[in-house]
Order: sequence, then C-alpha cells, then structure tokens
Amino acid sequence: MKMRNILLTVMCSALLVLSGCTKKQDANEKVLNIVSPAEIKGYDPIQADDLYSGREISKIYEGLLQYHWLKMPYELVPNLAESLPEISKDGITYTFKLRKGVKFQDDIAFAGAKGREVEASDFVYSIKRLADSRNQATGWWVLDGKLKGLNEWREKNSKLAATNYDEEVEGVKALDKYTLQFKLAKKFPQFLYSLAMPFTYVVAKEVVAKYGKEFINHPIGTGPYILPIFDQGKKITYVKNPTFREKFYPSEASDEFKNLLSDAGKKLPLVEKVVVHVMVEPQPAWLKLNKGEIDYYSVPKDNFATAIKNNKLSDELVKKGFILEIAPQLDVTYTAFNFENKLFHNKKLRQAMYLAFDEAKSNTLFFNNTAFPAQSIIPPGIAGNIKDYKNPYKGLKLEEAKKMLAEAGYPGGKGLPEIKYDIPDSTPSRQAGEFFQKQMEQIGIKLKVVSSPWPEFQAKVKKKSVEIFGLAWGADYPDAENFLQLFYGPNKSPGANGSNYDNPQFNKEFVEATTMLDSPERTAKYEKLNKFLAEEVVALFGVHRQAYILEHGWLKNYHPTDLHHDAIQYLNIDTAKKAQLLKNF
Amino acid sequence: MSTEVKQSKSLLHSALLKVISEKLSLIALIIVGIYFLVAILTSAGILASDWNKEVGASYMPPSSSIIFGTDIFGRSVFQKVVKATETAVAIGIVVSCISILIGTTMGMIAGYFGGFIDELIVWFYTTFSSIPSIMLLVAIAFILGKGTMTVFLSLGVTSWVGLCRIVRAEVMKHKEREYVHAANAIGATHSRKLIKHILPNISHLLIINFTQTFDAAVKSEVILSFLGLGVVGRPSWGTMIDDSKLELSRGVWWQLAAATLAMFVIVLAFNILGDALRDALDPKLKGK
Repeated sequence: MKMRNILLTVMCSALLVLSGCTKKQDANEKVLNIVSPAEIKGYDPIQADDLYSGREISKIYEGLLQYHWLKMPYELVPNLAESLPEISKDGITYTFKLRKGVKFQDDIAFAGAKGREVEASDFVYSIKRLADSRNQATGWWVLDGKLKGLNEWREKNSKLAATNYDEEVEGVKALDKYTLQFKLAKKFPQFLYSLAMPFTYVVAKEVVAKYGKEFINHPIGTGPYILPIFDQGKKITYVKNPTFREKFYPSEASDEFKNLLSDAGKKLPLVEKVVVHVMVEPQPAWLKLNKGEIDYYSVPKDNFATAIKNNKLSDELVKKGFILEIAPQLDVTYTAFNFENKLFHNKKLRQAMYLAFDEAKSNTLFFNNTAFPAQSIIPPGIAGNIKDYKNPYKGLKLEEAKKMLAEAGYPGGKGLPEIKYDIPDSTPSRQAGEFFQKQMEQIGIKLKVVSSPWPEFQAKVKKKSVEIFGLAWGADYPDAENFLQLFYGPNKSPGANGSNYDNPQFNKEFVEATTMLDSPERTAKYEKLNKFLAEEVVALFGVHRQAYILEHGWLKNYHPTDLHHDAIQYLNIDTAKKAQLLKNF
Repeated sequence: MSTEVKQSKSLLHSALLKVISEKLSLIALIIVGIYFLVAILTSAGILASDWNKEVGASYMPPSSSIIFGTDIFGRSVFQKVVKATETAVAIGIVVSCISILIGTTMGMIAGYFGGFIDELIVWFYTTFSSIPSIMLLVAIAFILGKGTMTVFLSLGVTSWVGLCRIVRAEVMKHKEREYVHAANAIGATHSRKLIKHILPNISHLLIINFTQTFDAAVKSEVILSFLGLGVVGRPSWGTMIDDSKLELSRGVWWQLAAATLAMFVIVLAFNILGDALRDALDPKLKGK
C-alpha cells in the first residue's frame, strides 16, 4: 500500500471512530428508552423477588395470567392460558386450558436451535423448579403450603442425591398437552394472583439443563422481547422476539384509560427495541430525560420544586411537551427490625423508636410532602386498610418516646449498644439514613449507617446479617395478604419476611384470613391483623408513596402502575411527534 | 579548662528557618497550623460540637447570621465544614503515616539487602502500581465495608509505592558511604545500621513525602465519598460534595462552595509548604 493510501485509511478509520463517539438520536427508530433505578440481579424467574429484576424478567418470560393493561381496579386476564381456569365448587381444583402455538424463543438449547411449543408439562416443571429446595428460590413463599403434595415433594427430594422432577405431584399435573391442573392443599383465593407473578413464569427444561448455573444470564422465555447479551452493564438492550405469538393491544378500557385506546387491536409489542439504562443516581437520569434520551422517569426529590408547582408542570417542561402523571402507589416504606436479634424483642424499644421518628418532616424532605403517612402496613386502596386510623405510636412524640425508652430499660439510651442501620446505596438513601440516625439520636439511641449496592443489600437481608434496615414493599397483587405475609413466620429469610418476625398467634390468624373468600368478614380480619402489626410496631411504617412521573409527549399508552411488570409491550413511540418535539430541545 | 562546643544547626532546624524566612511559605505554614488547630479543637469538642443541631429551615441560603447557609436538615454548613476538617486532617495524617511506614520499610529492606529480596520487592511494587489506584481503592472499600477506618487503610496501602522507590534508591547510595562502613567495622547489626544510621540521613525524604501524601489523601477521600464509599456518620468534605450533586438542581450551591473552598485552601497550602520544604531540605538544592 502506498503511503498516501495508508494515510487515507488512517484518516477514514479515525473519522469512523469519531463519528461513533457522537451519538445522535434517530427519531424515526421505534426504540423505547427507560431507566432501572437498581442493578439487575439476573434473569431467573424464581429469584425475582425485587421489583426491578421482576420488570426485566417480564420482558422475556410470561406466565399463565396477567393484569389487564387498561382496567382499574386490577383485573386478571389470561396470558399463556387460553381462558381463566375452571374452578371446582370446593375452590380446590383449578383447571387451565393452555393457548396453543406459543413458542419458546429460539436458542441453541433446543433441537435445531428453534424454540419449541410450550406444553402443560413445562408449567409443571417450572412450578417444581420453584419448589426445589436446591434452587433456594426466593419466590418459594408464594406457593409454600399452597399446592397438594408440593411441600412433601420438596421435603423428600431435599434428602435425595438429586431432585426427581419425574415424580408426580398431586397439586400440579399436566392432564394432556394443553391442560394443566392445580389442586390446592386448602382454599386460597389469592392463588390466581400468584400465577401472574414472575416466580411462576414458564421456563424450558432444556434451557435450564443447558446453561446450568449460567441460566440466570441466559433468559429464554416466550415473551415479547429477547435479550441478545446480558453482561451486568449499565445498559441492557432488548429486541423484539421474532417468533412472538399473535397477541394484540386490548380494545376495552375502564373510563380513566379510554384515551389510551388508539393502538387497540395492534399486534404487540409495539416498539422494535427497548434500552434499559441502569441508573442508580437520580440526577443523570433526570438530565437524560430532559435531553429526550429517556421516555419517562419519576421526578427526583431535588427537582420537584423546580419542575412542579401546585401539582402542575412548570411552563418550560410543558413547552417541551412533557406530561405529568400522578398516581398513588400500592406500597409502603418501612424500617424493619431483624427479630433474630433478641434486642428487638423489646416491644417498648421499638415503640420508643417509632415515637421518636418525625414522619412529617421526613415526608417534606424526601417526598416533597406528596406521600401519605403510613399508619399501618396496608396501603389505601386495598381491603384491610383502616380509614382514618391513627397509630398511637407514630411520631413525632418526643417526650413519650423518652419515657418509653426508659420503660424499655434504656433510659436516655444508656446500656443500648450501637445499632447498625442498613440501607441501599445511593445519595438519597444515605440522606434518609442520616436523617433517621439524627432522629434516634434525640432520645439517645446510637445508629451506624451502612450502605451497600442493592443486590448486596438484599443478600445481607436474606442472610439475616442485618440489624435494622430500610426498605419499601410494593404490592405483588391487590390483596392485603401480600402485605401481611411480610410478617408471617414461615416466610422468614430467605423468604419475604426479612424481619424474621414469628408470632404463633399472628401466624394462626393470618392463615385463617387468607383462606377466606373476599367478604366483609375477611376484611374485618385483615383490619384486625393490620392493627395488631401496627401497634406491636413490628416495623416503623413510613409512607405510602405517590408516583409523580414525567413522560414525553411522544410516548403513547403509558400509565403509572404497580403490578404490570410487563407494561413495556404496550408502550409505543409516536416517531413523527418525537421528531417534531425534539426540535424544541 | 573548658571548651565551648558550638552546636551546628540540624538539617531540620535550618530547613524550618528557611521556610519561615519566606513570606509565602510562612503563610502556608500558618494556614496548615490553623487547620491542625481546628482539627484538634473539634475533636476535643471545643469547636463545632453542635454541628448536628438544626439552626434553621432546610436549604437556607448564606446570610450574615448563617454564614454558609444550611443543608437538607437545616444544619449550619459552616459548622459542618469546620467539623469535616477533623476528618480531613485525621485522614491526611493517618494515611501519610501508613504510607510512610510501608514505603520506608519496604524501600529500606530492598535497597539495603539487594539481591533476591530487592527483586521480589521491586516486582511486587511494580505489579501493585500497575493496578489503577482508584479501582484498588474501590475494591478495598468493598471488602472492608464502609467507614473511616476503611478510608484510612485503603488510601494508606495504595499510596506507598512512590516513596518506596525513592527510599530504595537512596538507601542503595547510602549503604556504600563511609559512615555505614564505619558502623559495620564496629560490628553494628543490620537493623542498627538501617534504623540508627541510614534512616536519619534519609528522613528529609519522608518529610517531603508526608506533605505530598497528605494532600493526595484529602483529595482521594473526596473521590471515595463521592462514589459513596467514604466516611459515614460524620461530616466530610466528600460527602458534602456528594450531597450537592443533588442539591445543585434546586439551586443550592453553598454546600459545594464551602466544602470546595475549605479543601482548596489546605491543599494549596500543603503544596506550597511541600515545595518550600523540598527546597530547604534537599541537599542537592542547598545553596542554590
């Protein structure tokens, strides 16, 4: 090659490299850009016990049921099932007919690298996999004690050298290729909700066998998107699943969602590609949103005052075409105690801590006064929440707190060891931690704030190596049982009861309530249990949050939701509007 | 008959005189002195003992009564800056001491014994220094958990390589000098020759290195805290700057300004002082 040619080549490649560095947005491409505010633990449905992993998993995997995208209150509709199940009169047997022609995504784990059809036996396998004690599934609590013979199968197989998946379990059977039957151990009306949760999503035996421990990084489901590569980076890119079945955007909606029907009847998913930006810190995400690089994001606490006034968007944001969505969330924030530590068996100590915590101030500082103070664990909107109830131990009542602490045996905090307070890793969390520490200092309780990245924080809770820790719980399904079970003894870590609270009386009444059908009696029972937990101060319940979400004018069909982990498939981008709006940026 | 012995000035003494005689370095010395004094007074609880108390509403701008305004919890930013001096000075001193201890010991052993031991130590520190230090800091902070102790250790164990190299070279030079041969002739042990004879003759290097490590440590603490790996539970300039990355969007600039200013002044003062000390202590520069 002549010198001139070499120079030319060098220059051309330099140009190529440089042009690669400046990323320009192509408004014509139907790409959805969203944020995950926490790192993803991996893609194994049976381990999806946090919201953020659950959302990612739901892009790839699916279950028998799902929530109707455009109906409120939440309504279960069939997904991989052809229709809602036939339920026997005694409420014990549930028979599902499966949708035909649903295929797993193509992968080398299958014969000919082509995804095969989903059968009833795949669901049986997936349920057993959730129950297999060798997998230490964090989602086992949803089925623990619920299906006939499943606990016995789990017990028996934990003692064998290898789990025998071929052994039949009465509670979950494939009657034929497309018929699946569940038999419950006892009546449990919430059972159907668990079939819409990531834990019970269907996985293929071949894929689990092929990837073994690496299965968590090789998700192959039946869902609308596929994940070509997962490398725990800061950006996760999904592309449309080319073999996705015929699934259509709903044509019915409840009144508040009637305006979201413009895509009715269109084949899902509506966008070609989804890019999830893992951004733990709110500021970079907010800046990206303002540059139009992210399609929606919740308003960070520090930008609230400038972005929103009297629940209305600022003029500047309106000019850019932003739309504000406000919706109460089915959640509760709380500071939990690890009851494995005998120190926290002292009820008066817990009550003293709650009395010393200035909830109103915390609401102002961290939620811009938009959250509802939580008097108990069950949020408004779910039967079991007691309207106008005031928890007698909710702060700030400083004098009472001091008195209570003295009664607990630690006057002025004397004799009390320094308590470790674990929080997830981010600046707002650290500030909240510092605030809590300051509050406790008022009555002489010394705290040490320890922050860790989200997966590590969760691992610590599962290993019971925490003392007290700050957390939020979002509903998995719209039933009080989902909140009360956080303190149900048998759900101890690694289950959802990270507090490891175990009270025989509560456990007994909880089981009684959860086997009842929805009725005023059941609601009364839920209320009783709710009040009991509140006054025992099993945790310091903080607030029920409201979502303040800012979406771009070009995003279609979006609404804030607690339970639709699979929301992404319904979202659409109006590319023409995007091109037009981006000119204002 | 009595003879009067005229005491000659020690190296340190003459260096100190030289530093004081220059206006700029004198100011730097005084500033450093003030920071140390503030640190001592805050740790004794005389200054800024109630930094954790609320003095007003959250995010009050600077005014004549609250000189640097207030933070999220309504605490005085000025008090926090003062209290954080303690953290910064403690980190500076402890980290420098750890780094000098490791660097000097390794450097002296390598330079004095030579041969295989030297090769081993050189191999170790070249390998060690090839790891990007910020990655190493993060890794150590993850293993040890967070807290002041972690910052001490992680910064200490990552900042000794430069000194180790210098000390090694210097000891190699000194071990061939007459005074070491003389000590050898009267049967001094290795450790006596190293500690009693060679160490005092290379001590100026340690003093210069101290000033350099000190301000590097102060700066690194800020980076660690900004990454969420730093000091927890007491104010530090790093966590204050970390807070301000959120606060800037609501127009709260005073916490950032105060912490940066405090840091800027001590780092600058230490740099000037370090230069002056090097000029005064380095025998090669003597008389220039």
